[in-house]
Amino acid sequence: MSGKKFLVTRYEEMGWEYEDVKPRQAIRINSINAKEAVVTKRLRSLGIKLEKIPFLKNGYWIHKSKFSVGATSEYLLGLYSIQEAAAQIPATLFTELEDKVVLDACAAPGGKTVQLADLMQNTGVIIALDIKKRRLTALSNHLERCRVRNAIVYHMDARQASRLKVKFDRILLDVSCSGNFVTDKDWFKKRIIEDVKRNAQLQREILTEAAKVLKDDGEIVYATCSLEPEENELNIDWATKNLNLQLEKISCYGEKALTSVFGKKLDSSIGYCRRIWPGQTQGFFVCKLKKRRCAQ
Amino acid sequence: MKQIKNFANRFQTRISLDKNLILKKRDRYFLLNGSLKSLISKDFFYAGTYLGKTKRGKLFPSFNLLRMIAEEKANKVIVDKKTEWLFICGRDIFKQGITEVIVSKRKGDYTLILNQHGECLGFGKILCNLDKAKNGVVIENISDIGDFLRREKHHA
Repeated sequence: MSGKKFLVTRYEEMGWEYEDVKPRQAIRINSINAKEAVVTKRLRSLGIKLEKIPFLKNGYWIHKSKFSVGATSEYLLGLYSIQEAAAQIPATLFTELEDKVVLDACAAPGGKTVQLADLMQNTGVIIALDIKKRRLTALSNHLERCRVRNAIVYHMDARQASRLKVKFDRILLDVSCSGNFVTDKDWFKKRIIEDVKRNAQLQREILTEAAKVLKDDGEIVYATCSLEPEENELNIDWATKNLNLQLEKISCYGEKALTSVFGKKLDSSIGYCRRIWPGQTQGFFVCKLKKRRCAQ
Repeated sequence: MKQIKNFANRFQTRISLDKNLILKKRDRYFLLNGSLKSLISKDFFYAGTYLGKTKRGKLFPSFNLLRMIAEEKANKVIVDKKTEWLFICGRDIFKQGITEVIVSKRKGDYTLILNQHGECLGFGKILCNLDKAKNGVVIENISDIGDFLRREKHHA
């Protein structure tokens, strides 16, 4: 059970007609380091054509540039980050981030960690984990370049977060996933359904640990760049039934997630999640969960 | 801590850092705040504001530390746009590219390199008295923010 035909048929069953999508490069202005209008003016003066992303506060698509936007003084000074449009959504879904203790459980290479620091205005604490040690160097460089001052980075598997003995107000679970065909041209050749199932299981383990270290009334934002329901709607349906978590309504780009998958009826609250089919952005899935307060 | 202070002295300035908030991890120094300090455990990889690392007694400053020094009255030169990019690419600085000199013009001193927006791009060593030099290379590039790109290539 693999290959393009198999996977595309699944997407059709979920109501999406497959189309070839080219990824669009996007940037996000780091408001802690410069004003948006100042950065865009400087980039335009370099001949970079920007297009405001309508559904993001500080996001721009690179419409045209004669050189890499990763090689400008402004980039090296941390005035902006290169971050795909859909990937800019999750961090914006939390309520009140300033002065909070936040866990970024699968943090490398750090795009969303920097975005969290930006939204927190460098207040509070971000604890950023990643399981792959060699990716921590890229994460650290990113934090240094973007002048993040409120993060602590550990080489740690997200499934062991309780070892930190810290309770979190907010948790970002941008979990490792099967990805999608937009960002990898050989994606259909590589993926088999067993990979998806293995990733889904790993994601459930991460969700379980996150629920353990989350404070009552705390929030988890869960995101994947996978289109496969096993890693998205089915996992969240499982989490709401097993982890004392409830879905919260969110308002962001994307369409209502599926409440029925391959004949299986899910909880109606799954409709609060957002599924983003490839088009303006890569494929994506995002939702916000809140931990129910324990009865006294 | 002493090495950081000595390094700042080379720019004819002082920076005040709370030594209780500075954490050393192997050869690397980090500046924390109270909140970070209350939550950190000893097996961290990176934390707060990275200040730099030492190797055989010599300090290799981070760009955060250079920025902190740049906020003080210190040796600085401001360069034009073309020189800014050449400096970021690792090149030394020609006299013609300098638009302003702040504090020291003396041969042998360290100086911060700033762009027209006052943003710190790195630092270098003054090779000849900036009052007397008419043209040619006058500041040797020691460290510049292009290092972030070189690190990315190195780790790719």
